[in-house]
Amino acid sequence: MRMREPAEGLLGVGGIAVEDQPDVSAVLSAYNQQGDPALYEEYYSGLKHFIECSLDCHRAELSQLFYPLFVHMYLELVYNQHESEAKSFFEKFHGDQECYYQDDLRVLSSLTKKEHMKGNETMLDFRTSKFVLRISRDSYQLLKRHLQEKQNNQIWNIVQEHLYIDIFDGMPRSKQQIDAMVGSLAGEAKREANKAKVFFGLLKEPEIEVPLDDEDEEGENEEGKPKKKKPKKDSVGSKSKKQDPNAPPQNRIPLPELKDSDKLDKAMNIKEATKRVRLGPDCLPSICFYTFLNAYQGLTAVDITDDSSMIVGGFADSTVRVWSVTPKKLRSVKTAADLSLIDKESDDVLERIMDEKTASELKILYGHSGPVYGTSFSPDRNYLLSSSEDGTVRLWSLQTFTCLVGYKGHNYPVWDTQFSPYGYYFVSGGHDRVARLWATDHYQPLRMFAGHLADVTCSRFHPNSNYIATGSADRTVRLWDVLNGNCVRIFTGHKGPIHSLAFSPNGRFLATGATDGRVLLWDIGHGLMVGELKGHTDTIYALRFSRDGEILASGSMDNTVKLWDAVKAFEDLETDDFTTATGHINLPENSQDLLLVGAAGLCKLIRRKELFYGALDFLIKNKNKKKEREWLSPIKRNGNGLCWNITFGKLTAPQ
Amino acid sequence: MEQSKMASPKSAPKDAQVMAQILKDMGIAEYEPRVINQMLEFTYRYVTTILEDAKIYSSHAKKSSVDADDVRLAIQCRTDQSFTSPPPRDFLLDIARQKNQTPLPLIKPYSGPRLPPDRYCLTAPNYRLKSLQKKTSSSAGRITVPRLSVGAVSSRPSTPTLGTPSAQTVSVSTKVGTPVSLAGQRFTVQIPSSQATVKSATPTTPTVQNVLINPSLIGSKNILITTNMVSSQNTSSESNPLKRKHEDDDDYDNL
Repeated sequence: MRMREPAEGLLGVGGIAVEDQPDVSAVLSAYNQQGDPALYEEYYSGLKHFIECSLDCHRAELSQLFYPLFVHMYLELVYNQHESEAKSFFEKFHGDQECYYQDDLRVLSSLTKKEHMKGNETMLDFRTSKFVLRISRDSYQLLKRHLQEKQNNQIWNIVQEHLYIDIFDGMPRSKQQIDAMVGSLAGEAKREANKAKVFFGLLKEPEIEVPLDDEDEEGENEEGKPKKKKPKKDSVGSKSKKQDPNAPPQNRIPLPELKDSDKLDKAMNIKEATKRVRLGPDCLPSICFYTFLNAYQGLTAVDITDDSSMIVGGFADSTVRVWSVTPKKLRSVKTAADLSLIDKESDDVLERIMDEKTASELKILYGHSGPVYGTSFSPDRNYLLSSSEDGTVRLWSLQTFTCLVGYKGHNYPVWDTQFSPYGYYFVSGGHDRVARLWATDHYQPLRMFAGHLADVTCSRFHPNSNYIATGSADRTVRLWDVLNGNCVRIFTGHKGPIHSLAFSPNGRFLATGATDGRVLLWDIGHGLMVGELKGHTDTIYALRFSRDGEILASGSMDNTVKLWDAVKAFEDLETDDFTTATGHINLPENSQDLLLVGAAGLCKLIRRKELFYGALDFLIKNKNKKKEREWLSPIKRNGNGLCWNITFGKLTAPQ
Repeated sequence: MEQSKMASPKSAPKDAQVMAQILKDMGIAEYEPRVINQMLEFTYRYVTTILEDAKIYSSHAKKSSVDADDVRLAIQCRTDQSFTSPPPRDFLLDIARQKNQTPLPLIKPYSGPRLPPDRYCLTAPNYRLKSLQKKTSSSAGRITVPRLSVGAVSSRPSTPTLGTPSAQTVSVSTKVGTPVSLAGQRFTVQIPSSQATVKSATPTTPTVQNVLINPSLIGSKNILITTNMVSSQNTSSESNPLKRKHEDDDDYDNL
């Protein structure tokens, strides 16, 4: 098998990236014979013994070496066709590895012959990329001294060939700190990888005039009192006139201009924002359930519009179904000739172009030839995207309910897709390990974000549309710059494939959920992990922040939805110079404090004279207030609560 | 997913037990019982295909029996066909670098629905209309209108430039009141009867062209209809100027 050249941009010059290291003499090919195969067990045992006898403070750090060394030595034995030695090596040492590597080891155990290695892209990538370890200088010196003794030269060669040791000056890390950060297929992230400047601030909102309505005056105006009809300006946008240093320049990436309908939408949002109840530990959202009946476990993707008027479901039978959840039904636009008859100047022209004969609550969209794994509404509710196992992403019009474009690029299942918060751009990520940025009017992608070692399972836009976060099956989360396609952040720490991502509304933080049942919180600006929410026992498939960022909701396969206090989680962050320089974190053990609702119990929901019973992890408040309240709407699949999509919407009528 | 029940050794065939054990070794604890059947089916099909290919290769190499090399060759050939894997990482990094170098294109303002060029969209009708073969009348100057009613409604008639007797071609161009044409809409092209009354005495050679609606021109923006009046047998009909066929003038679609 020909040797693969190491991927560019990721590796050093075959050595440790520290200035005072001597250069490695020979450039070794990937897995040349490194010594007598029968002695591999001895080398490994020798190292193990050395590490176990070292000082406590160094032991945790040096133990990081076990896993990558084990894998590389095993793969080398297999590649050089020493099957029996490989097998006995595996048997002897695979139990010593950390528990979170068990899945990888299982895959590794099935690779027993050289031919098996060929088809496994992930293993090949592991072979050619360098596993990154972060070790303090003292521990490193200790290791180097030991390995450079004559009999351990083989291991030293392997270390230099396949590992990248990122040395920092300072205290060695504790096991707990290390465990929080490791777990990904490529080790941790190098510190330089997280040093680039990221503009995490929000773009300035345009000034929108919001006319006051009479009905907002709630009895304040008595007869005779002149009503003040001053139009209210958008108070949010005009607060800071000067440019936020962390916000990207307005024209950093081209964004579509606002149409009149967009401006109306924004005005509506501002009005509603003033009426919104602030959520918090003492003011929880009320719940509204939408259940998909008779889905036969075929519901694979779900999305809801921002104004909660439509819900779309992507199904395993390759259909995409759109429902209207308001009394207003879904209509398609009239045919061409009918349209020519209407009066274009009338005020309600937008109503007249709709064909009443086609009104229905449900529209089914056919076109895909495989299960639909990702769906996304456009912010202006005119378009719908769906991504499927057939490798295409389809754009549907929600005015004619037909398919407009099929974007072909991934030739493998596309696991997720999302529209940008401003429309026009969308991102898709799939099995081919890349995420692509598209614009609706280009049939080819504009940007390709390559770098992950395994499938891209989840992709989300930052609220300012300048960055894209991708979560992958290689257990890392990467943040990409839309402008030039560079990877600006790599977040490691999850121990399983990542299935959900959520940006906080202020753009500063990212929450990620994976199969390991933990929700991790990241500070984007500093590139650090700032929180860990423990409590779920199974994969977390849905994460969403409330509109003002006070609450984080997480939905998981363990049939629970948990609400977390985001305000408290993000305050008092330790971001002094030490942490930013070394990337250390001290995670507070405050998951229990942050959990807002923890009492399991049955609850009764009354909505439109129907009774829904659901076993939930929280209590429901059902106050009658004239003001609009935020509500949380989990969408259950099949009545079993197996599939969740969480959004925070508004209750528009008192219940 | 339901918990699978361990098949009791008496009832399940050996293959099924082996498959269950494989699933267990790979760490899959929960699966529907049909999964074992599907996996066994796949295994059987795959192995028989490989062995058949190996037999062919071995007979091609004039060997007496199938050996490991034949099987290896068979596996290699089949892998390239059926089990494709995504491109390797260095290749992806390379093309990503190329693609990311081009700056993001500017967005044209006020351009309606932003879609790729029509041939990359799925908005064109996937049919073409057949032109009707009709004998034309000769000197009446009547416009022969092949009936092409396809859909519900037609474009609004404007004044096609038939008025000028010397006009040989009729092109109803964008003067047709441009209704917003939308994806997949069906339409009828109709040349209104009003113009048929232009029975000018001027003997004109009958306008004889094909009515063709060019599907590729029908995008999502405007309907551009070029209609050329049809008759395919114009040459033959010219020889019989007196023979007049009464066309179905009267059954145009009424708007």
